[in-house]
Amino acid sequence: MKSAERTRYLASLAISVLLALLVGALIMLATGHNPLEGYGALLAGAFGDERAIGNTLYKSAQLCITGLATAVASSSGIFNVGGEGQMFLGALASAWLGTLLKGSSPWIAVPACFLIAILAGAIYAWIPAVLKIKLKINEVITTILMNSIAIFFCTYMANGPLKTAERGVNQGTDALDKAFRFPRLIRSSNLTETIFWIAVISLFVWYLMSRTTTGFEMRLTGQNSRFARFAGLKAETLGILGMLISGAMCGALGMFETFGLQSRFKPDFSNEFYFDGMLVAMIMKYKPLGTILMSFFFGALKMGAVTMQSRTGISSELILIVQSIIIFFMAAEEGIMASIKARRTVRKAAMTLSKEVTG
Amino acid sequence: MDWSTVFSLSTLTNTINTATIVILAGLGCLMTDQAGMMNIGIDGMMTFGAFAAVIGSWACASWEMGLLFALAVGLVLGAFYGLFVIRFKSDEFIIGVALNIFAAAMTTFMLRSIPGQKGSFHPATGAVIKLPTITIAGMNFSMMVPLSWLLVLLAWIMIYRTPLGFWLHASGEHPDSLRSVGRSPEKMKYLASLMCGALCGLSGAYLSLGYLSTFTENMSASRGYVAVACVIFGRSNPPLVFLAALLFGFIDAAGQRMQGVVDPYLTAALPYVGTILMMVILALRQTRRKKAH
Repeated sequence: MKSAERTRYLASLAISVLLALLVGALIMLATGHNPLEGYGALLAGAFGDERAIGNTLYKSAQLCITGLATAVASSSGIFNVGGEGQMFLGALASAWLGTLLKGSSPWIAVPACFLIAILAGAIYAWIPAVLKIKLKINEVITTILMNSIAIFFCTYMANGPLKTAERGVNQGTDALDKAFRFPRLIRSSNLTETIFWIAVISLFVWYLMSRTTTGFEMRLTGQNSRFARFAGLKAETLGILGMLISGAMCGALGMFETFGLQSRFKPDFSNEFYFDGMLVAMIMKYKPLGTILMSFFFGALKMGAVTMQSRTGISSELILIVQSIIIFFMAAEEGIMASIKARRTVRKAAMTLSKEVTG
Repeated sequence: MDWSTVFSLSTLTNTINTATIVILAGLGCLMTDQAGMMNIGIDGMMTFGAFAAVIGSWACASWEMGLLFALAVGLVLGAFYGLFVIRFKSDEFIIGVALNIFAAAMTTFMLRSIPGQKGSFHPATGAVIKLPTITIAGMNFSMMVPLSWLLVLLAWIMIYRTPLGFWLHASGEHPDSLRSVGRSPEKMKYLASLMCGALCGLSGAYLSLGYLSTFTENMSASRGYVAVACVIFGRSNPPLVFLAALLFGFIDAAGQRMQGVVDPYLTAALPYVGTILMMVILALRQTRRKKAH
């Protein structure tokens, strides 16, 4: 991006975010709440104490890995809306292997579970990628429908064949060996050691996307697959590679959730995490660095919203509303600017033309 | 398994009832598709329509008002979609997906803002008035069922037998030729978006006032995406889209019938598997035909 263009983009992003938060405040007013109180509770929930900060950090990491998963697929030309399903399969596969390996050394078991999780996610992402590239089947529809399929399948497994015999657990697999679990970094917060793993994966993906030729070729494919093909790139392989990485990341997050927070696979472990991260990546136009940075902002909003809901009764869905409104604002701004630019060019052309005629 | 229960009269009514959701939304999606826009956002339009219908029907104690609310909300969303995709030239997939997420979040938020309501709408006073029913061949259907059949016929006539349908198609395929005969392709596209919104509003109203009699969070259950798949499968031809929707409805209904034998979580996934298979089969046939040429 040219620097003038980047400044304009950042300015429009800042304005869109502020306006969207303002709309959020108006919605609070309309539903009979005090916006200051609402946003106050949100801030306290995000940064109030050590536990809150830990929760916010973990939420940011979640958004970061899912956001980058969207970004890496989108930049190579495939819109992965199916991360939720890929995450569910990763979680279930790792929990299944984890219970099988019960009692063995964590140095073997944990990497093995990680591998099977990323494999499950990647394979599930590979299917829509191949359907898109070989058969031109729209990936948005297939991935969204495959989400439902994966969630129903995993719920079935956790209620049926893999259901634990443990009492008091109405759905879920057997509890994982304590030695396999990731310890918490801050007591009673969601922050577990998985944050280091997520950081490493995110750095790797950022490096791949913005500092390697593969990343450059992927972006080229995403922007113009025909041109990329003329330039001698294997557009098809690159598109599939993007989806494989994306699915693997989602699968990995599924394992982190299961081995970090939940201690077993539970079909209700995710509250549509993937879509939150996807929206962050969409807002940041699939730029890896921007997505990473923006994750912290939305991580704070998301986590704070939970406290806001419990303290003031304002539903935490408000943040999802704010996120989608930011997308609308930025799309509108872009459209308005483009039409002004087009009008200006037309006017300029008309002026030079009239000068030539009169002169 | 007892196959006679799978192929029974109640499976037939279930098939038709479920298919009607997809038929109405599919007709909406088909209008925008004819005008060269792939509207992924119909799922969100349905969700909003379902919510507006329930609130209208309950607040005014009349199903007519519920229907009117749903139509109005649908038209507003159609205009909104048109504004972004036609005027601002935004990416139609991004706007569609954002619209769906926005709709799910907004309706959930509004529902929870009503005191005492969470998950689904159960008012303490008053009641949600359902759409009237009609008896056809001894079976009870919501009035929306025969209406959807009529709309399929009307849509077919409009698209293939009137100049309007011709212009609609031209606005997507050859906008410059349309402009050269003095018609605005933008206006045609807006018209398509508005019709799409209205039809999705109807689909939502049927969902919450016919198929069920309440609003539940995320009640469209990705059926909007199924409708998009049916439009692709039916190549935007109303009767073919109708058949595709019936096929989806049948898989759904047969799945419900099999629940005694097969796990209900697995049967719930069946319609989505079926929809993807439908798309794969169609695509395979098309590529084979292309190779034959």
